Amino acid sequence: MADEQINGVIITFFSTASAVGKTLISINMASELAREGYSVCLADFDLQFGDIRNYLRLTPEYTITDLCESIQADSGRPLMPLLTTYSYEGVSFQVIPNPAKLDEAYNLSPETIIEVLKNLRMQYDYIIVDTTSMFSVLNLGLLDISTIVTFLGIVDFIPTIKNMKIGNETLRTLNYDSNKIRLVLNRSDSKTHIQLKDVVSILGEDFYHILHNDFISARESIATGVPLVLNGQESELTQELRALVARYTNKGYQTEETRKRDSWLSKIFK
Amino acid sequence: MINNNVMLVEGNRLYLEQLSNIIRETETVTLVARFRDAKDALGQGVVFTPNIILLDADNPNIMSLLEEFRKTYPNADIICTGEKWSADSSSLYVNAGAKCFLVKPFSSEELLDAIFAFSKPTTGGVAEAKVMTFFSPKGKSGKTTLIANLAMAISRKTNASVGIIDADLQFGDMAFFFNLKPQSTIVEAARDTDFLSPVSLNSYFVPVAKNVSILCGTKEPSLIDKVSIHSLETIINMARTMFQYVLIDVPAGFNPTSIAAAEMADTTYVVAMLNGGYEVQHIQRSLDIFTTWPDYKEKVKIILTRVEPCTITAKQEMEEVIGYPVAGIIPNAYLDVATAADDGRMALDLKPNSPLSQRINYLAGRITKEKQDDKDDF
Repeated sequence: MADEQINGVIITFFSTASAVGKTLISINMASELAREGYSVCLADFDLQFGDIRNYLRLTPEYTITDLCESIQADSGRPLMPLLTTYSYEGVSFQVIPNPAKLDEAYNLSPETIIEVLKNLRMQYDYIIVDTTSMFSVLNLGLLDISTIVTFLGIVDFIPTIKNMKIGNETLRTLNYDSNKIRLVLNRSDSKTHIQLKDVVSILGEDFYHILHNDFISARESIATGVPLVLNGQESELTQELRALVARYTNKGYQTEETRKRDSWLSKIFK
Repeated sequence: MINNNVMLVEGNRLYLEQLSNIIRETETVTLVARFRDAKDALGQGVVFTPNIILLDADNPNIMSLLEEFRKTYPNADIICTGEKWSADSSSLYVNAGAKCFLVKPFSSEELLDAIFAFSKPTTGGVAEAKVMTFFSPKGKSGKTTLIANLAMAISRKTNASVGIIDADLQFGDMAFFFNLKPQSTIVEAARDTDFLSPVSLNSYFVPVAKNVSILCGTKEPSLIDKVSIHSLETIINMARTMFQYVLIDVPAGFNPTSIAAAEMADTTYVVAMLNGGYEVQHIQRSLDIFTTWPDYKEKVKIILTRVEPCTITAKQEMEEVIGYPVAGIIPNAYLDVATAADDGRMALDLKPNSPLSQRINYLAGRITKEKQDDKDDF
């Protein structure tokens, strides 16, 4: 047995309200981790309508479909050559793009996708996963295998908050460690009638981290295809994104040495 | 007040007794005659002057019997009764002159519904509904607002009966938008489909306005498994005979629910909100699938929401970019919709001349008048 294999951290971005910024934040999370020198894989598991390939202007040769086929063929061949590299000014990470064709997306087996992740987590420090906004078989599998689930919310109008509440409650019924699910609020001060404190009281829980609304920076980032944390403009949102990554990596509290040991320990005692 | 004089024609001895008792217990209804043999009912029943006939549709000669009863009792409503509802046989009976179909044994309430409530506003009630499914590639497309307002506009314009089915099974918002706390939802309807007919399914719909009612969605995501595709199809088939227009909200993306509803619909609207992201690519990707239908040009239409400025030029530009006609564009009404929704209301009492109302009314006109697509029409 390859006992020295270290499983990397899988961070899944999930929400039960749509258009809350999962893709933008997961791309920036991956970019920031890569910028700090970690080996990072970013997976687009919004299989039907994923936008990571659009956002990062990728023209991938292979997609998750090829990775699944390779796993099913049980060839033992490494999966990493089937990933797509994104790089910008010396920072690079690997991407698993969603399938090129919609019918491929519809027919992929959730179990095989989870197998792909199990294989890849031995190769990377961090795997960042973007998802769809529903409790599908695939998403439930991803929640199970994740180290951290970032449950993203926004302060929008009441139906969105209702869906966040139902989603959060459903997540709680899955009985994960409370530390595993982290509530992150995006676009906290967007134009709305709802107050942050109202959302907190509806959800019955405080947010772990808050990202401010910066529509202009976000829009520009989408237009240029360059992640916020890499574009050299230190906006408030960029700093908050970096701060979120710092909290997830415990940077500032632990040295590189203990970080490595922690992930090893967490594997033994998991 | 008109007397409800019921004549019961029931071949099964046990049902004859059971149904007789139910009819006798039902207020405002009188059982004036009952027969096991349909021929006796035809020959002898006239002396009792029934104005409502409950006719056993499990009789193998039901189609010819229906014709004879129609001739003999031209002024009576004929309600067919049977052990199980099916879309095909039920529409045969209705086309042959029956008013509707009741699954037996029925309750007093269902009988009264069949007699009073269950009648389409238009005469005849033979024509089947126009069924429309609203598909969106991703969530937050604005389709819940669109569907609710469109249903109201169609009903206002034509006085037609409109049913909304919220089949967005995990996060349906329709009940919320109308501030409803429904006793029965699509989950209960799906559970009961084997025992339901359109008459009894009617009671699962919650009325929200004159002629508009809603079958609400699931209350929590885990209930999605309780609604099988087969039962959803049965519900849609029944709704076809209950309303003149049926609007179906489905979960985002391609999934068994959205596919089944789209396949059963006369028109599938692909709805997307313009947010400066990759909406065009999502629509095109969806069209790749829908255009495999041979009749997609008639069946698949695009509606864009949050279009600013909401002008004919914008519509034409989007048609060019997407490479497909755009059936309707809806302006940004976020503040109106959000304000109303936050108060537990639907943004329905919009100013009639507001841009949103105008665009919705235009779409409603398109749907009800069956107007041909005209490029210059806006």
